[in-house]
Amino acid sequence: MRKKLRDLGLDLPLLPTTTVGSFPKPAYLQEARRLHAAGKIDVRRLRELEEKATREWISAQLELGLDVLVDGEMYRGDMATYFAEHLDGFGISGLVRSYGNRYYRKPVIKGEVRWRGPITVEWWRFAQGLTEKPVKGMITGPYTMMDWSFNEFYPSRRDACLALARALHEEVKALAKAGARIIQIDEPAISARPKELPEFAVEAMRTVTEGVNAYFITHICYGAFEFIYPQMLELPVDNFDLETSNSNLDLVDLFRKYPFTKDISFGLVDVHSHVVEDRRTIEARIRRALEVVRPDQLWVDPDCGLKTRTAEESIGKLRAMVEAVKSVRESI
Amino acid sequence: MELLTASVGSYPKIGDGPEAQRHRQAYSRWESGEITDEEFESIQDQVTLEVIREQVEAGLDVVTDGQIRWYDPVSHIARKLAGCEIDGLLRFFDTNFYFRQPVVVGRIERRESVLRREFEFAAAASPKPVRAVIMGPYTLARLSIDRRGAGTRALVDEFSEVVAAEVRDLVGAGARFIQIDEPAILVHPEDVNILARALEHVASSSRNAEIAVHFYFEDAGKIYPRLLDLPVDCLSFDFTYGENLLDEILDAGCDKNLGLGLIDGRNTRIEEGEKVIEVVRKVVEVFEGRRLYLNPSCGLEYLPRDVAFRKLQNMVRIAERIREEIA
Repeated sequence: MRKKLRDLGLDLPLLPTTTVGSFPKPAYLQEARRLHAAGKIDVRRLRELEEKATREWISAQLELGLDVLVDGEMYRGDMATYFAEHLDGFGISGLVRSYGNRYYRKPVIKGEVRWRGPITVEWWRFAQGLTEKPVKGMITGPYTMMDWSFNEFYPSRRDACLALARALHEEVKALAKAGARIIQIDEPAISARPKELPEFAVEAMRTVTEGVNAYFITHICYGAFEFIYPQMLELPVDNFDLETSNSNLDLVDLFRKYPFTKDISFGLVDVHSHVVEDRRTIEARIRRALEVVRPDQLWVDPDCGLKTRTAEESIGKLRAMVEAVKSVRESI
Repeated sequence: MELLTASVGSYPKIGDGPEAQRHRQAYSRWESGEITDEEFESIQDQVTLEVIREQVEAGLDVVTDGQIRWYDPVSHIARKLAGCEIDGLLRFFDTNFYFRQPVVVGRIERRESVLRREFEFAAAASPKPVRAVIMGPYTLARLSIDRRGAGTRALVDEFSEVVAAEVRDLVGAGARFIQIDEPAILVHPEDVNILARALEHVASSSRNAEIAVHFYFEDAGKIYPRLLDLPVDCLSFDFTYGENLLDEILDAGCDKNLGLGLIDGRNTRIEEGEKVIEVVRKVVEVFEGRRLYLNPSCGLEYLPRDVAFRKLQNMVRIAERIREEIA
């Protein structure tokens, strides 16, 4: 896939470093979001602060020396709800419990799902305007949107998923048209029902990406892909971004058995732990990954979005990761 | 043949209006130590009465206590057992609901009755019979981490003793409807013999009560014929995972009581009566048991509370139409 990157005009170093998408929102932005929800500040003021936070995270990523950047998702709440709010056909449900005393509202498909205009393009453009390095376009995938929504309109999960895929294809086209050359499609729910992968999840991903000239990454969390590997390689994307730091060894065995045929972003930093890994731990994980994939296939990033960590933890973890990559690069 | 409408498990603990937040507020005050265990318990009592009332108001023939006191269907049982510790959160099958995973560190034994008091409280307050619900031994074993390394079979044996003792207690407390949940067997159909053996143990302690086994979150068609041999009175199914199950039932018939989970407990769309009735019509043709249930496919905690209530009301209306037609 190095050729595809070059053809897109992307000259990335070996073992490109990136992040999965979200960064923690600074305290002033959390407060502003609360005030906005309570009707106490207007959308323009909120937007100013979202831009300020985005600028800060772009600077932080540049300073860390990451190769492929993200906008940090300062303007998003829940990853499914955000897109549901910006597509036609969606409503929002009453409260549903997820565990303990935690409740959330789910998107509800109430009518024909349609793309009514760019959702993330303005933010992508804003972030890309701040740096020479490539910024990824980021969307939530059709299967995950379907699985995380109630469906009152379409006769089946398949119909709902494919309708979402058609709508999200428009978003992907708009991102590419604006200049995004790397587009990530998050599918944490992709293995919710493994038999649906061949039935329609692959088809949905094809619908999203088909005919769009970009390097596509899909992000899939831990506890997900071991049920659908190696079939999952049929998803028409260039790079699989996998949460692997807590199952590194198992995966190496799995990939020995069924070689990984595409590019892979190894999640090598645990986002669920407060502990900042030291450089050597991460370095050892990279070397273990290199036992089963070629250096030109491998990208390095954290397991998942960092929004649940503090800014200090996030930066500490990323710094260790970038240093580990540098040291491995020198030895290759 | 009779047709009853029933609940099969959880009911949403809170609603959307400010008056329906009581459980959530009490939970958070209890967590931060502002109220005592007894005060929280009394709120849970009140909410339990409330959700029983809602089910009765919807017109159900058989209700549950709504599992208002349950953190989740697995750890609620496991946390009271010797030999079990409770670990971190894990996704509950393919839902967006999380349960705390038991870790088995020693021999599993019951220290005290887990469900008897909860059942007695609900039964005393309900004008309708209360169905007692417990997670079954196979699923408890499958969802636990086996730190002893003794293997799934040993775990199933020990959990089946626990469940058998619970069933004995519930029968002693007057429960006439007892439901054992076994969703995990649909993920590991090759273990159906292990399930059968475990349930023999459980069923032997259950005279005078109808023992149902409820299967959900996967199509049970592939093992349906084997399930007919289980030593239980009633088989209860989630019909939302495909057509295979219905075909198998029509093919093999059914001489046990049967729970038809045709009301989707995981989607807010309200069922079309005609579609449900069509399935029931077909099943009635081959049905040789005494009692059919119309029920949700699973517990209702995956829905907002107002939708759960509307679904039950709609289910009762559909059941009335079926009764008229059959009579």
